[in-house]
Amino acid sequence: MFYLSKIEHKLTLPPYLLTLPIREAILSELERLFLDKVIAKLGLCISVYDIISIKGGSVFPGDGAPTYLAVFNLIMFRPFTGDIITAKLIRSDANGLRLSLGFFDDIYIPKHHMPDPSHYVSTTSTSKTGTWYWDYGEESFAIGDSEEIKFAV
Amino acid sequence: MKILDANVAPLTNFEVLDFLRSKGASKDPSRVIAKVAMSEYKVYDYLVNTSANVQTREDIAEYLSGIKLHDLSEAEILNIVNIRPAAVVEIYPIIEECPDRFPDEEVTEIVELVEKTLPTVTINETAVENTEGDEETDTQAHENGNVSQEKTEGEEPMDTS
Repeated sequence: MFYLSKIEHKLTLPPYLLTLPIREAILSELERLFLDKVIAKLGLCISVYDIISIKGGSVFPGDGAPTYLAVFNLIMFRPFTGDIITAKLIRSDANGLRLSLGFFDDIYIPKHHMPDPSHYVSTTSTSKTGTWYWDYGEESFAIGDSEEIKFAV
Repeated sequence: MKILDANVAPLTNFEVLDFLRSKGASKDPSRVIAKVAMSEYKVYDYLVNTSANVQTREDIAEYLSGIKLHDLSEAEILNIVNIRPAAVVEIYPIIEECPDRFPDEEVTEIVELVEKTLPTVTINETAVENTEGDEETDTQAHENGNVSQEKTEGEEPMDTS
């Protein structure tokens, strides 16, 4: 679920951070740039794990901000197929379920991926939401509100 | 931005939780003081409610030395640490083609190893257990991380693969 990724990035340090010791300043700028953002091929950045090296510090003409080349590790959230995750149910409707992890809300289980067999009952005849039931043997188990659900990616 | 190595190492939930704790995350309401961002806090909140909350490095090291005897892929070993299956039925979705690769005794052995090395999360005594249809909802763990001998019965894992 979580991976460590090594990144190299050229960043400029805005002048308001120049009073801080360099490591803290770079950390603060990296967090502003990467935290809670999705990076292609890497996943959702959760945190800056550590900073491996900082080089540079040259100022380009006309610029007030020094440029640094930093190498650092990021903790990425990147589920792989087959990963099993526990999440909370936030919405259940005719198309399937929507689950949330707190930090990540876009998890959908479409109806063709529900455990087989299961059926759906709408709460009222006009409502868009309802409850899914899992039919196991002779009994139906309701997939209820805000329960924790384990799903495989 | 240049990606030097997209996959330095996979991390267990415990390691991420430990890292966030060392940054200063905690459950108490005065969260403004720690240098932890809101989005990091959301991850912390999620992880604190899993079994990673009560694990220690020694437990995981013990588990890892034991699991080497069985032929599991790295992803499966990682998944088991994160999910902490308490019963044979919970192992089946984690390990691919389980009945083909492992005989039943070996699967029971793996469950026993997990029971022995990785601690469980205690259930709040005042929780009302919904026993209709054998489903039990996972309830809040105690913050002081008491390692209890009680087994936590998770709900039926929904294999939606």
